[in-house]
Amino acid sequence: MRRFSWFNATSIALGFAFLYIPILLLVIYSFNESKLVTVWGGWSTKWYSSLLQNEGLLSAAWVTLRVAVVSSTLATILGTLAAIVLVRIGRFPGRTLFSGLIFAPLVMPEVITGLSLLLLFVAMNVDRGFWTVVIAHATFSMCFAAVVVQARLYDFDKSVEEAAMDLGAPPVKTFLQVTLPIIAPSVISAWLLSFTLSLDDLVIASFATGPGATTLPMKIYSQVRLGVTPEINAVSTIMIGLVTIGVIFASYTTKRASARQEREMKAVDAGAK
Amino acid sequence: MRRWLLISVPYLWLLVFFLVPFFIVFKISLSDIATAIPPYTPTFDWSQGLSGIGTFLSQLDFENYFFIFEDPLYLNAYWSALTIAAISTFLTLLIAYPIAYGMARAPKEWQPTLVMLVILPFWTSFLIRVYAWIGILKKEGLLNLFLMNLGIISEPLTILNTTTAVYIGIVYSYLPFMILPLYASLEKINPSLLEAAEDLGSPPWKAFWQVTFPLSIPGVLAGCFLVFIPATGEFVIPDLLGGSDTLMIGKTLWNEFFNNRDWPVSSAVAVVLLLVLVVPIVLFQRNQEKQREAGR
Amino acid sequence: MSETQALGASPTATPGAGPTRATVRTPAPQSGFAPWKDPSKSPIVRFENIVKRFGDFVAVKECTLDIYEREFFALLGPSGCGKTTLLRMLAGFEKPTSGRILVAGEDITELAPYERPVNMMFQSYALFPHMTVEQNIGFGLKQEGMPKDAIAARVEEAMAMLELSRFGKRKPHQLSGGQQQRVALARAIAKKPRIVLLDEPLGALDKRLRQQAQFELMRIQETTGTTFIIVTHDQEEAMTVSSRIAVMDHGQFMQVATPGDIYEAPNSRYVANFIGDVNLFEGKVVRVADGFVEIDWGPGLARFKSVAPEGCVADQQIWLALRPEKVRIAFEKPSEASNAVPGKVVDVGYLGSISHYHVELANGQRVRALRANSARTVARTINWEDSVWLEWPPETGIVLTR
Repeated sequence: MRRFSWFNATSIALGFAFLYIPILLLVIYSFNESKLVTVWGGWSTKWYSSLLQNEGLLSAAWVTLRVAVVSSTLATILGTLAAIVLVRIGRFPGRTLFSGLIFAPLVMPEVITGLSLLLLFVAMNVDRGFWTVVIAHATFSMCFAAVVVQARLYDFDKSVEEAAMDLGAPPVKTFLQVTLPIIAPSVISAWLLSFTLSLDDLVIASFATGPGATTLPMKIYSQVRLGVTPEINAVSTIMIGLVTIGVIFASYTTKRASARQEREMKAVDAGAK
Repeated sequence: MRRWLLISVPYLWLLVFFLVPFFIVFKISLSDIATAIPPYTPTFDWSQGLSGIGTFLSQLDFENYFFIFEDPLYLNAYWSALTIAAISTFLTLLIAYPIAYGMARAPKEWQPTLVMLVILPFWTSFLIRVYAWIGILKKEGLLNLFLMNLGIISEPLTILNTTTAVYIGIVYSYLPFMILPLYASLEKINPSLLEAAEDLGSPPWKAFWQVTFPLSIPGVLAGCFLVFIPATGEFVIPDLLGGSDTLMIGKTLWNEFFNNRDWPVSSAVAVVLLLVLVVPIVLFQRNQEKQREAGR
Repeated sequence: MSETQALGASPTATPGAGPTRATVRTPAPQSGFAPWKDPSKSPIVRFENIVKRFGDFVAVKECTLDIYEREFFALLGPSGCGKTTLLRMLAGFEKPTSGRILVAGEDITELAPYERPVNMMFQSYALFPHMTVEQNIGFGLKQEGMPKDAIAARVEEAMAMLELSRFGKRKPHQLSGGQQQRVALARAIAKKPRIVLLDEPLGALDKRLRQQAQFELMRIQETTGTTFIIVTHDQEEAMTVSSRIAVMDHGQFMQVATPGDIYEAPNSRYVANFIGDVNLFEGKVVRVADGFVEIDWGPGLARFKSVAPEGCVADQQIWLALRPEKVRIAFEKPSEASNAVPGKVVDVGYLGSISHYHVELANGQRVRALRANSARTVARTINWEDSVWLEWPPETGIVLTR
């Protein structure tokens, strides 16, 4: 597709304006002096300092972070295993059900997933809290992780693994020395995706949680229902800022890696002459 | 042997934490509400042995389902969730198509950046992005302020807490899910196909309808499913942006569970919602598999 | 670093300037090296009644084959003929449905790929993208638990043999196609396996590079004294590199013989057609006498005389196969030749060194003939619509019974 026209440029510009203006306004109004969200009272960072005093929000943030780290690690391991099963192990009894189980959580309405997990925990008679939220998040994130890793495995030349075995590496060694390093970027993005999904989730966590494990989205939600407050704007701005920095950092490091590769190649070329 | 170990770890996890819970939901949907912990009856009593299973089964019935189908509240909630999801899916497609089309035609070196800019909002919290619209849409919000300052309107518009706000919220939140598959299918189209169509006498707008659009249909379908299915069960958007008259089944389920504490009825609501969504979910998976097969 | 430089540096890799096929194979010239004829030799590889089914599809049907030490053995056939499946069964990536595979007398049918004394060079090269050339070549040695300095020495040796020493620190994506191909070969020989398997090893190279690489393969095979088994669909490649060829079709061996025998004495129409160009005359045996056979190939046509194959009887349906370069073409009817047919030239292709002629016979059959343009000017050139005679002695045609 070529021939970039004014129509194309305008649609992109309007589309991105629609995507970004609400976020931008939210960020700007987090620096508003006035408590009334719509009235501009001058620049101020007072809502950020009042955040630091809000212990409920801070402890919720800490819970969320811990849940996200543990559940995304679990989800990445399970998701990578699932992707390998789907791509590398051809037919086995129950494969159709398995691929359905990987696929369904991707589109399942959160209220259903959340409710069913809660009822499971009740039936199993476990105390709900930190670990039940971790399990809930790991369960739906692992499917996203599996999809990400699966996509990489599909365009992975299987003969590379065969070559490793042919040269004497048993399956587990082949996986650790050859497969894993090659799919590493997709495993990392699977982790990042699981991490943000966990950070973001309100509905499933609300069902799966118990006393003492209130996550940040739950806290934000309960305050948002009472109306817009600059404090929530400030929390949101911090979260947006962290994610943006993360994404920029990730793209910067990959760019630097490819630049380094280019330099290496030039150096080798120079040496070869 | 090792193969089975590899399969069993993720398989068992999903069986225990995804599949088994659905059976529990189904079982509880056949139970009755009770003032107990857990708040339903009967509960299974292992100590009674086989005869226990008999009495247990005899106490299950489809009462909750009759209740759902008799009360217009639930039927309306299902129906309005489906129509709201369908209309917003269509709106999302209308808005996403020109954007994806522009991205696919943009210079190659811009495209990775454009794709990243579409994905970036997806990485920032869904809740926060919905929340951002409250400040914009409310009566004394930024949109009304802006329009009144321009003199386009004299009285503030009531948008927040209406179905319109729900449409805006769904379109905004799910836009990346529509743009990305559309872009993926548009980007694959070989430009010489359009040149060939024009060479054979088809003007550009006709070439678009005869060549580009038909070739992008897999992306259109994938995008529509990705928006429609989760939008049908959406809770956060109708709860925060919609009004008391905006019925959506996800919100009904939530209220039934958290406010009325009626676990059996909310389970029955979930089972019916799942049955409603089974058709689009299966169609979607078929579409995806067809694409994957064609791609190889 | 250009391709030409890299390959040109190798003295044997330049065609023309490099040694011919006979000199490369000095220790085993075609006449002397024939372990398959020696009953005292035992094979290094033996396929025993191998059958391989994929569902309903039979990829390999009851194949039995012996391959001997130091052979350069080619499995040749069209795609889907089962040659790659056979190779992958030897490497251990596929399990035979029935039958046994023996290496040096030992049954390896049940061994995993990483337990077999064979190494493979893959069609896609299958280089590890995250490792340098050195790490790629040393990978197999590392799996053996060889000490580091020993690995380094062996890697160095393999790289030197393939003119790769300058690229040791590069990653595969920083190499050209020809260089990647040599890394893949170096990796396959680094462990000094008894058998090296090559799956269409030169398929991704262009024609010029492919010819150079063929000579390089032969040189490596010769210097290492390893048994090479190559899978290819390119008959020229098989003819160039191998000591013996197995021509395969639909999961069966059609003929297993030296390149010379395959070309000069094909055992079936399939093999005759598959290797090189051939004219086929369908006919019936009139009688067999003195080792010659008289062939009736149509009413009112002069009978052909040809060397009789074994077990040929009167009235049997046969085909006479005739290579185009063995047909002489002339204006005058040759006097003493035993086989001569008149015809009309319908097509002439001038290729410089040689010319092709398509001659239509009285019964409508077309025959191809080749003539070397050895003289720069000829009194009268053969042209379209010319009436000519085709002639060949009885010893040049091959009578095929299937």
